[in-house]
Amino acid sequence: MKRLVPYWIAAVAGFVLIVSHFIPDSQGWGEVAAIWFDILQAIAFILGGGNLIKIHLKKASDRPAGWGYSVVVLVSFLTVLSVGLLKVGVPPAPIQEYYGESFAPLPLASIPASQVFTVPGSIPEKVSFLRFRQVRAKVHASVRAQLREEGGQITFRGWMRGNQRTQLLGYKEQLAWQCNIENLFDASQAKDELAGRIQYYVDHSVLSFKGHMNEEQRDALLAFDGDASWEAAVNELYDKSQATTDVRVDEVPPLFDPDALPANVSYDAGTLSVRGPMNAGQRGQLVGLFPTARPVDGSARTALLDELRALGPVETEQVAAFDRLLDGLWSVESLTHVLDEAAKAQEEDKTACEMLDEQVAGVTDIDPQKMPGDGRTLNRAQVAALGRFAEDESLTIGGLVAMLREAGDLSGAQERALRRFLGPVPTAGTLRKSLCFAMMKVDDFEGRRLTLNEGQHDLLLADYRAQAAWRHAMRGLMRRAHTVKFPWSGEYNAQGAPFWWLYEYMFKPLQATIFAMLAFYVASAAFRAFRAKNIEAILLLSTAFIILLGRTFAGVWMTSWIADDSAFAGLKVENLSMYIMQVFNTAGNRAIMIGIALGITSTSLKVLLGVDRSYLGSAQE
Amino acid sequence: MLTLLVLGVLSVVAIAAVFKHHDFFKSLDRRWIFLLMLVAVAIPILFQLSFPEKATGLAQAVFDEIEALEEGAPVLLAFDFDPGSEGELGPMATAFTRHCCEKKLKMYYLSLWPVGPQMIEDSINRVIKSDFPTLEYGQDYVNLGYKPGNEGVIKVIVTDLRELYTTDAKGTNIDQIPMMAGIKSVQDFDLVINVSAGYAGTKEWVQYAATPYKEQIRIVAGCTGVQAPLLYPYIPEQLPGLLGAIKGAAEYEKLVVDMYTPEGETPDPKYLEGIRRMGPQLVAHVLMIVLIIAGNIIFFVEKKREAQR
Repeated sequence: MKRLVPYWIAAVAGFVLIVSHFIPDSQGWGEVAAIWFDILQAIAFILGGGNLIKIHLKKASDRPAGWGYSVVVLVSFLTVLSVGLLKVGVPPAPIQEYYGESFAPLPLASIPASQVFTVPGSIPEKVSFLRFRQVRAKVHASVRAQLREEGGQITFRGWMRGNQRTQLLGYKEQLAWQCNIENLFDASQAKDELAGRIQYYVDHSVLSFKGHMNEEQRDALLAFDGDASWEAAVNELYDKSQATTDVRVDEVPPLFDPDALPANVSYDAGTLSVRGPMNAGQRGQLVGLFPTARPVDGSARTALLDELRALGPVETEQVAAFDRLLDGLWSVESLTHVLDEAAKAQEEDKTACEMLDEQVAGVTDIDPQKMPGDGRTLNRAQVAALGRFAEDESLTIGGLVAMLREAGDLSGAQERALRRFLGPVPTAGTLRKSLCFAMMKVDDFEGRRLTLNEGQHDLLLADYRAQAAWRHAMRGLMRRAHTVKFPWSGEYNAQGAPFWWLYEYMFKPLQATIFAMLAFYVASAAFRAFRAKNIEAILLLSTAFIILLGRTFAGVWMTSWIADDSAFAGLKVENLSMYIMQVFNTAGNRAIMIGIALGITSTSLKVLLGVDRSYLGSAQE
Repeated sequence: MLTLLVLGVLSVVAIAAVFKHHDFFKSLDRRWIFLLMLVAVAIPILFQLSFPEKATGLAQAVFDEIEALEEGAPVLLAFDFDPGSEGELGPMATAFTRHCCEKKLKMYYLSLWPVGPQMIEDSINRVIKSDFPTLEYGQDYVNLGYKPGNEGVIKVIVTDLRELYTTDAKGTNIDQIPMMAGIKSVQDFDLVINVSAGYAGTKEWVQYAATPYKEQIRIVAGCTGVQAPLLYPYIPEQLPGLLGAIKGAAEYEKLVVDMYTPEGETPDPKYLEGIRRMGPQLVAHVLMIVLIIAGNIIFFVEKKREAQR
């Protein structure tokens, strides 16, 4: 029995793979067999680890010569295993941490009845296929618990999130259902002072509040007809969002305005404070207080070059690199063109309700897209506003949008295009840093790498240093204002974690060293063992010389006197080397491979038919 | 040229010295040979010796296969190697990534080797994050990570990728990654680029992916020197292009650098790493030849002596 079971497993798996290879309908069987193979392979890793411990523990216990190496292996193995499995020193995964939100545990049933939203309708049935079987599909797991159908109504408990809406819309491509979901989504959004602030994560059974909660918001939440758990959760969220985190800043950015900070952020005498958690948007707002790089015209370029020349030499090649970089910057004309293009009517998707209305009205060929009214291209005042923005570094992108709106019409598509255009443009400090590196990446006419002196470095990098320090402070502020929710969610090999250090500074160099040592042993072997003892050895030696030379420029150089188009071009070392590889090597290898394949076929058949059972541990049953 | 002349003269002098003092060299301690190899490798590194490269047909074929792809075409980059073979394969992995970025291809990375994901991360950090920062994870490139099972993995994902890859290397659900929409199996990729250091690697990709689905799956590869002879039998039907060891990497690097370095700009040294590593290889190969000749001189002199006795 001990041998019969593995034998049958091997035989059945083998035949399934053969059959699935030749019969397309049974391809799925082959996949299942291959997946089991992968699972077994993964289990083999665990067995391998156990075996390694057993062998080396025995060696360490018996203490034969070299037993110390076994101890090193064991210690290394256990260290890496424990550091990796326990995720020692690993920061939590940002995607799981819900930065800017506070959590309080709350069962789904405790969400107040007033926060259960309904629309008339029903959840349609959907059939899908799972492994050749017809099954009734369920709505996505992220919404299943919150969605119900009761008395001809679809109800949703809590506040529907954007991704839940997407999942529900994708559940069934049916206009009536999708329209119901659109209506349900609109109905289930928190209103007024709670808009966009309150959420419920059913997977974690937690109530979440974004940012700092003020007393009005707390009272609004408590005013819902919730039970004691609800009240406790709201109070917990309120308490959690009251904590204040400070950071000391030596210098504030050029566009910093204490009166324009987010509501929960304040600045007083070199200290920036945030109440409650800080989200990525707020951090982005603070980090982005540096001016976007503006086009640099001839006089500004000359002025900057003069400043650099006053501090040290600037070579012609460096000026060329300087100009090349600045020539690639944006211009008022290009931005005007982008905004005018965005003003042209672009098709937009219709909502499911709009399409349903058309269907009810009897339209048979429904176009899923609509053409909104034409936008207007920029007027003169707006183009002038763009020009002012290009010249005045104290203006922000938000300020530019306000100026454009004041000067004329600006559609949503145009504002999006504007932000998309200026978003990737570097800040003025980053641009100067890029200039610095570009001027150090060029060679002079003699091929010498050019450089800049310390004063020139300082001039070009000063703004970037200030920007980096501010950004570092803001990242630190966000991290410190955050309460870790899932400490084990990070990747075991996250950069800077102990496992990463072990890999980067021990495993990697050690493995590379072991591999590199081959060169020394091969050299020694070449001197001692590679002898022209007979004809076969001479052939082998000659081939080795041609290949060794053909794989480097030495071979090319040695026979460079033979013209490429001459009748003897085939005798050039690099061509000889290629010929040997493509003809003799390929022919020999193909013969060996065909032989091996025939051998594998016959051995496999013997194994599958039970003739050869040696793989079970013995040649005899 | 001067370097090669000097090298040639030194080789001749060394061989003559062995001929004259073969009794001394007969019992030469192997540590002297180790030292010679160290010097042979160190000098080109210290003096930054590099030599011109000319692309051979196979490197050109690899380049052309990638070059022929349309912008936005999905490409599977299977990095099946580890730090031990990084010396040979790292430069070609860097060059492949750069070429794909320049061509604006969608890059899907995976590995059949346990430490392959770190090699992938290295490439992503070295090329994409530093030189193509506008490329977005999940939109332009994704790291699907490592799966155990060697050729078993290939066998499954050639027909259904989601059977094994339910998340990416960071644990994000594959259905939430925008660029995974429309990718059902390896057959949906326009090209598979494999960088291989052994088993499982190019041979398995050819046998289990490119051969059974020859109409749907095209593959080009870069491999270590010892693997290259074993892969030649698959050229060109099952494997249209192959980069063999650091020589192949250097040739391919040259093609990429020539095509994509703006005029007047010096290429970043990380994109010339293969060419740089060919310097030590050249001197080491010449040393090997000198050692073989020296060993044979000693052998024949000894043989002659024995015959005289």
